[in-house]
Amino acid sequence: MPKIIEVDKLSKSYGSIQAVQDISFYVEKGDLFAFLGPNGAGKSTTIDIITTVLMPDKGTVVVDGLVLGKEDDKIRSSIGVVYQDNLLDRLLTVEENLFFRAGFYGFTKDQIKESVRNAIITTGIQDYAKQRYGKISGGQRRRADITRALINTPQILFLDEPTTGLDPQTRKNLWEVIRKLQRDREMTIFLTTHYMEEAAEADYVVVIDEGKIAARGTPFELKEKYTSDLLKLSFKDEIKGLSDLAALGIMYTRVVDQFIIRLPHTTDALPILDHFRQNLNGFEVLNGTMDDAFIGITGKEIRE
Amino acid sequence: MIPFASRNIKLYFRDKATVFFSLLSVFIIIGLYVLFLGNAWTSEFPNQEYAKFIMNSWIMAGLISVTGFTTAIGAFEIMIQDRELKIEKDFLSAPVKRSSLAAGYLLSVYIISVIMSLIAFILGEIFILADGGELLGAVAIFKIIGIILINSFMSVSIIQVIIGFIHTANAFSAFSTIIGTLIGFLTGIYLPIGQLPNSVQTIIRIFPVSHSASLARQIFMDIPLKIGFNGVPEAAVNGFKEMMGVTFFVGSKEITPWMSLCYMLLIGALFFAIAVMNLSKRKMK
Repeated sequence: MPKIIEVDKLSKSYGSIQAVQDISFYVEKGDLFAFLGPNGAGKSTTIDIITTVLMPDKGTVVVDGLVLGKEDDKIRSSIGVVYQDNLLDRLLTVEENLFFRAGFYGFTKDQIKESVRNAIITTGIQDYAKQRYGKISGGQRRRADITRALINTPQILFLDEPTTGLDPQTRKNLWEVIRKLQRDREMTIFLTTHYMEEAAEADYVVVIDEGKIAARGTPFELKEKYTSDLLKLSFKDEIKGLSDLAALGIMYTRVVDQFIIRLPHTTDALPILDHFRQNLNGFEVLNGTMDDAFIGITGKEIRE
Repeated sequence: MIPFASRNIKLYFRDKATVFFSLLSVFIIIGLYVLFLGNAWTSEFPNQEYAKFIMNSWIMAGLISVTGFTTAIGAFEIMIQDRELKIEKDFLSAPVKRSSLAAGYLLSVYIISVIMSLIAFILGEIFILADGGELLGAVAIFKIIGIILINSFMSVSIIQVIIGFIHTANAFSAFSTIIGTLIGFLTGIYLPIGQLPNSVQTIIRIFPVSHSASLARQIFMDIPLKIGFNGVPEAAVNGFKEMMGVTFFVGSKEITPWMSLCYMLLIGALFFAIAVMNLSKRKMK
């Protein structure tokens, strides 16, 4: 797949605070790309730069073949952005908001009407389109934000922490909308998040920590590389099992009747299981999660 | 630019609190006048019959000028909030020119200031009529509308420049409160200019909104003074006019209406130019 966003040696500081340091990465067209990191890692700064609202100190950014800083208006026409904060006007209805903001894209009156109508249908917000933005629920507001971002039928949709502060059911519904956009419209989705389970759903993940890129890969690759799996065995004949483990030089911890072995890779379980096949009462393989991977990468638990 | 301006106007009028607070100094002036000042002043008049008509006309003229200025401050709150709440980001990430955003803010503030001044004008006329006075003639009405248009232009320009130094909503509301408190003095409404010490008189004469107040007073008070001061020697009438800030004097030289008008336009144009320069220089951090 061609690269739709390319970021090269990007740096940005606020006074003495280095928000982003010399980061490089790319996003492939049509991917759901997750930018994972704790709060204050530099995710929003990066998204602000790519979406043309913040000037970088150094580095180049190319969006859909357009160079940031030279062709900003063209970039702006081909992106849709849902920022972390709710940025529509609370005193206006959702529909009024959409009409006003559609006015930014150089549409004719008919085009504005049509694009607003299409966007509303896409996200399914017909029920509260005529209500004031300030009076609807947090989840509905998020949906309205996404609708706003879709007004110019963008190539790339940026979502900066879109589900923060929403309840699980609302999060799930939002994800369905986002997934559908990626699938049906072949839209590239650039997501920042600090939720592991969201990053685990992505096609590709870049982990950022303290302004630097700490790791990159598919969720599977990250889990493989940065987590270990656990193999739990219980033996029919414990004494034989123990002596065999010692003979093979396998390190283990014992919890009641379970022997827990740490494995670098999931497939490492196969020869061990093969060896103990006759003596096994039962076994269990636990895969590392994105949480484990994150701790493995950054050495810290994700902060809320 | 036009749809953006209409968004700002809609937001202003839907926020009842903003509308109320941008009119706060107007309410204070009316309150003080109705409760205390009005009676104190009118009781000193020789011809009691027209005293109220004269003083009502005087206060309403000042009120219209103040309204143009304070509602412009209130309307700028939308711009400050867009910055503070980062709503601005949503505009900046869209393919819309920075200059047309800036123009959209200015245009909406101007329109709001004019609309509110016109409303104050209508209410003022109703008040004068209800209290035994007469309505202005057609020519006078057009002159007042002209003054409102220029006063609002000047006010928007001046405030825009000041707001260039204000970066937070807190600082903005402090500024708005201070101006709201001072404006009644700065335009010589709480106390007529003639009752104030010379240094304060100078400040009033420099403050551009005082000039639109003075011009409006000349128009509002033309008829009431003619009938109310009928037979009074001209020197006494002129003394009264000077005392009440209907006409300003620098030394012994009278400032003519044209001079006031030129001063207002000049100040408006000057501050507008500074504001445009500031806006075009402004970049995102």
